[in-house]
Amino acid sequence: MDFLPDPFPLLSAFLQWLAVIAVIFSSVLLITFTSNLVSNGAAGAALYGQSLGQSLVEIFSTSVSRCYALAKLTFTEAIRRKALFVFVVFAVLFMFAGWFLSDPDQSAKYAKDAVKIHVTFILNVLTWLTMIVMLLLACIGIPEDIRLRSIHTVVTKPARRFEIVLSRILGYVGVGTVLLGIMSVTSLVWIYRQVPVSARSELTARQPIWGQLSFLDRTGNKTDAGINVGDIWAYRSYIEGATKSRAIWRFENVTPAMLTTMTDDDGKTYEALRLESRIEAFRSHKGNMDRTTRFQYIILNPERNLEVTAATLEIGDEFSGRTDGIRRTLIAETKDNESKTVDLINDLVAKDGSLTIAVACTDPGQYLGMARSDLFIRLPDAPFAVTFFKAILGIWLFMVLTVTLGVTASTFVKGPFAIMMTFTFLTVSITAREFIRDLLSGKLKGGGAFESAYRIPTYMNDTTDLPSNPGTQLIKWVDWVMNGFLWLIQQILPNVSYFNMTGYVANGFDVDNWNTLLPAVLVTIGYFIPCVLIGYYCLRSRELEAK
Amino acid sequence: MSTDVASPTAAKDSSSLSSGNEPVISIRNLSKDYRDFWGRPKVKALKSLTMEVRKGEVFGLLGPNGSGKTTTMKLLLGLLFPTEGEISILGKPATDVSKNERIGYLPEESYLYRFLNAEETLDFYGRLFRLPADVRKQRTNELLELVKVSHARKRQLKEYSKGMTRRIGLAQALINDPELILLDEPTSGLDPLGNRDMKDLILKLKEQGKTIVMCSHLLADVQDVCDRIAILYGGELKVMGRVDELVKEQDATQIRSSKLSEAAAKEVLDVLKKHGVSDVQIDQPTSSLEDLFLRTVQESRERPGRRISV
Repeated sequence: MDFLPDPFPLLSAFLQWLAVIAVIFSSVLLITFTSNLVSNGAAGAALYGQSLGQSLVEIFSTSVSRCYALAKLTFTEAIRRKALFVFVVFAVLFMFAGWFLSDPDQSAKYAKDAVKIHVTFILNVLTWLTMIVMLLLACIGIPEDIRLRSIHTVVTKPARRFEIVLSRILGYVGVGTVLLGIMSVTSLVWIYRQVPVSARSELTARQPIWGQLSFLDRTGNKTDAGINVGDIWAYRSYIEGATKSRAIWRFENVTPAMLTTMTDDDGKTYEALRLESRIEAFRSHKGNMDRTTRFQYIILNPERNLEVTAATLEIGDEFSGRTDGIRRTLIAETKDNESKTVDLINDLVAKDGSLTIAVACTDPGQYLGMARSDLFIRLPDAPFAVTFFKAILGIWLFMVLTVTLGVTASTFVKGPFAIMMTFTFLTVSITAREFIRDLLSGKLKGGGAFESAYRIPTYMNDTTDLPSNPGTQLIKWVDWVMNGFLWLIQQILPNVSYFNMTGYVANGFDVDNWNTLLPAVLVTIGYFIPCVLIGYYCLRSRELEAK
Repeated sequence: MSTDVASPTAAKDSSSLSSGNEPVISIRNLSKDYRDFWGRPKVKALKSLTMEVRKGEVFGLLGPNGSGKTTTMKLLLGLLFPTEGEISILGKPATDVSKNERIGYLPEESYLYRFLNAEETLDFYGRLFRLPADVRKQRTNELLELVKVSHARKRQLKEYSKGMTRRIGLAQALINDPELILLDEPTSGLDPLGNRDMKDLILKLKEQGKTIVMCSHLLADVQDVCDRIAILYGGELKVMGRVDELVKEQDATQIRSSKLSEAAAKEVLDVLKKHGVSDVQIDQPTSSLEDLFLRTVQESRERPGRRISV
């Protein structure tokens, strides 16, 4: 999986959010102002101003006490409407999941994947159960309140409609929190009990420091990527053995605090920089295919012209993960073939705090494949529960987003439509956001919807240019308009990939706080604020009659 | 019977009750059209209604189904938006939420949260007025006693009979000790005892200086408690004025006395005939069925086990 090592572009994301919000709200204000003028003439402007003023007063006079009362009502309503029946489904799934997830033979291969299987199952179950229950609850609350007219007894009290929308969201979030809290604690216990003893060491939270990857070709010159060995999946690039080809990682801000105490084969402890790697070996007949493939970690400090071979290691299988310690004290060979002792931190870390580690393959005719996330500095691990609950926090944030969208939709359409609308919005966000991005960026060949519809029946592949005639010009123009519409859609679709942290937990990694958790929090807040305002506006501008 | 038949735009008010009092509700040329999906007017529910309700009076809105009573009530509360016209309620526009601090509203059906029990219901509505916890508790106890459902305070409202739900509905309308109380069909669904209790309560609230607006189909109830009424038909105001004046038969005289002997009755008839009075009826007055029922229930309570043999 991609562990998203790229930093989250906080400022540009915030500016884009501001721009989208400004455009949406300006458009709404303009349309409502114009419609007021049309329906009320010149007096419409004054009425509009009065209404806008009243809205602002209502928003800023929000009462915590009333919000608490309404949120508590929502919570009680959901619980007494048997929302907790979800636990029955949960219990049934758990009772029988063990049959399908466990291996009676307890094979080594199963043990290797046991954590991944169980964690993925649990987090998916929690996500879907919570989402379905909360989607249904959030979308029917206000429409039912309007249908049964119980809302009449609330809006005829001093409760502001802003408070009603806000409290509905908070109440359902409260319900979701209780459901998710109980299910996640149960799940964690279940995982600890269900995972075989041999695999429990995998229940951990590695804390990686990711580096930037670059390559040298077989002559030692810099290159954008390594060799392509013919694999369709171009995730990994390959370096050639016994040449000057290298995969070079540069780690920033390396400090002594990153060193770990490790134990050697004799039981002696030493200070070392722990590296974890997952390198793929691609063996060819030009070399010896029957033996392991050897590679070296080479620590470089160009400022001091130092190059230290830290370790020569072997890859037995085609693909294997391993953890190695680079000792703090190393022996370096100078150009005069003299040996001298160097300190990993003091001598090999550059002045800007960066550490450069190259991987070289020493076997001629063999190749090693690597991607950016295949080598990282592994800090002391955090407890598995920490990363597990961070993933739960991701599900919780997704639940908050779902509830927010559901309640907002329910302020202007009836329950079933609100469910469909919210579900579609989230499904498109999950499945089509990347597709729309690739389509608009031109990464996807073959044009837009109409061009594709033209190419398919005419058996025209997607790399061939369309013939130039008025018909194809029209197709391109229609696609251009459609793409404009898709661009608008893309601006309001949330990047829900931030909420899915299953990959981290299933693979034994700590969830990245800054590059995954923070964006998930910000996306949630980014939707929460405008949605509450839109929901308030819709509820305020409608007559609360069940017609 | 003599009445003032009002034009749709302005009803002549025969009231002299509180002519100097400030209006609590003021409605000017209020119209409401219900529209279809495309925004075309479908039903004209209210046509240019103009009226006022003054402080301290019990005002009744009467009319057959579809006459615009409930629409008027909902427009007053901001649940519906007027197509035309102006509403001022307690000196504020109907859409101003802050006016609700001083209003109590009992809806047509008791649209309450059926999953809450009586105590939770009143506590919830009390919180919406930001009443302190001790005040909420005190008001809850008082109101449950007042509407006579304190014995069922822990039962969810879905287990309540219609009459009990109505009582809780009234209690929630009074939780904030409002100045203005809007009651939509307050006696519907109540048994005669409950009906009498409700009417007594309305009169008690009036004594406390509250202003009450009620709409009802039950004309006897309205006559019992209302100072003034307005009769709507087809969305138009047809009649408005003081109840006692509106129902008074201007061309008839009623003399009431203790029971007369046959001889005395004959003499009275002779005197009336001597004065040229025709169409004279002398008989015993009847009490209302409601009075008979209440008297029977009262006696049954005092002497349980007594029954009549047929």
